[in-house]
Amino acid sequence: MSVNPSDVRNLFEIHYFLFAFLSSLGTLQIAVTSSGIRGLWLMPYRRVTRWLGFVCIITGILVFFGQPLYIDGPWAAGSVQADSTTREWGAASWDELAGARNVNDIHGGLDGVDQAIWFSLAAISAFAVSVVFGALSVKAITKELRVDAKLDDIDGLTGLVHSSYFHNLPISIRNFRLEARKFWRDGVRSADRWSLMKIISGSSTE
Amino acid sequence: MNSIDATLLIWLNGFSGSIKVFDDLMRLIASDYLMPLVFSLSMFGLWFSGKTSSQRMTYQSTALIGISALSISNVVVWLINSLWNRPRPFLDHPDELNLLFYSPTDPSFPANPVAIGFAVAMAAWMVNRKFGLWLFAVASLFGFSRVYAGVFYPTDIVAGALVGIAVYGFTSYLRRALEPLVTMVVRLARGLSVG
Repeated sequence: MSVNPSDVRNLFEIHYFLFAFLSSLGTLQIAVTSSGIRGLWLMPYRRVTRWLGFVCIITGILVFFGQPLYIDGPWAAGSVQADSTTREWGAASWDELAGARNVNDIHGGLDGVDQAIWFSLAAISAFAVSVVFGALSVKAITKELRVDAKLDDIDGLTGLVHSSYFHNLPISIRNFRLEARKFWRDGVRSADRWSLMKIISGSSTE
Repeated sequence: MNSIDATLLIWLNGFSGSIKVFDDLMRLIASDYLMPLVFSLSMFGLWFSGKTSSQRMTYQSTALIGISALSISNVVVWLINSLWNRPRPFLDHPDELNLLFYSPTDPSFPANPVAIGFAVAMAAWMVNRKFGLWLFAVASLFGFSRVYAGVFYPTDIVAGALVGIAVYGFTSYLRRALEPLVTMVVRLARGLSVG
């Protein structure tokens, strides 16, 4: 039976994205609950959010490895004849699930670059979902978008300990711009003081 | 050396086919998707860990070095592959091995998946010994599963581990040379509230 490897690749891409997205979301939730970054919690409660993180990871693994593959493909490595060039293509049975995903990239599996791209997209999506749910969680706690008005000037992830992403982003951008401006000004001054031209021409006073 | 390598591989692979559950577990661990995702997630999680701002800064710089080391490991393995094309064990010993994996077409030495695993584990170990040891264990298990499945020689795994550790060392050195760049990336991420 001849099947186009791109059919296998399309199926793998969707499943891998779901796998990477759920696992990233779970990992992110476990990390942010341990570091107390409330602005990214899926739920307002630490323990519930952490358990939700574990559930997401397990669901991701089940989505990828636990579902039968109902399209024809070289689901080969479940058997002793693991060579996908000689093995006949067909739907993977329950019995073959453990090895069904072991498909060479030339037969439709995802190579390292594909995986890196899909993982990046999945991680960004997981962060975006956390941002939205985190804002709702912070709002549920405080009835407004931030917890403590005294901590208004803290940027980055440290700022998300006390506020939602939407509240924190303008502060982070403002602080970054101020810092960049200062860095640029100081950098130009120091470049002027130490400039190669002055040293070469001997006009440097340093 | 070659014969000890092959003997050890054939002995280990000889256990396959006896306990189906164990074989299935090894197929899962040897998969191209599970362990590489674990390594990527470990760096992703490290980025958001850290209880204080300075600790987070350290973790984020380390995560960047870990990701860079992972990428550079691939390049180093590719370079070694282009110098020495060691055939896969199932090609050298077709009648003595029970292959539990698909037949990879790239050279055997050194083991690329193990190199990236050890590079990431080294990064984690530098900032958190316990976390790093867990990742070393995971990377070793990944290597063992590939030997058990019959796609790598034991020396490929050892060489892969050494490449991963060496590349991490090189990347750390490179980081010191390019220091403002790493801090700038982390600072930029903070400007977008993700760092």
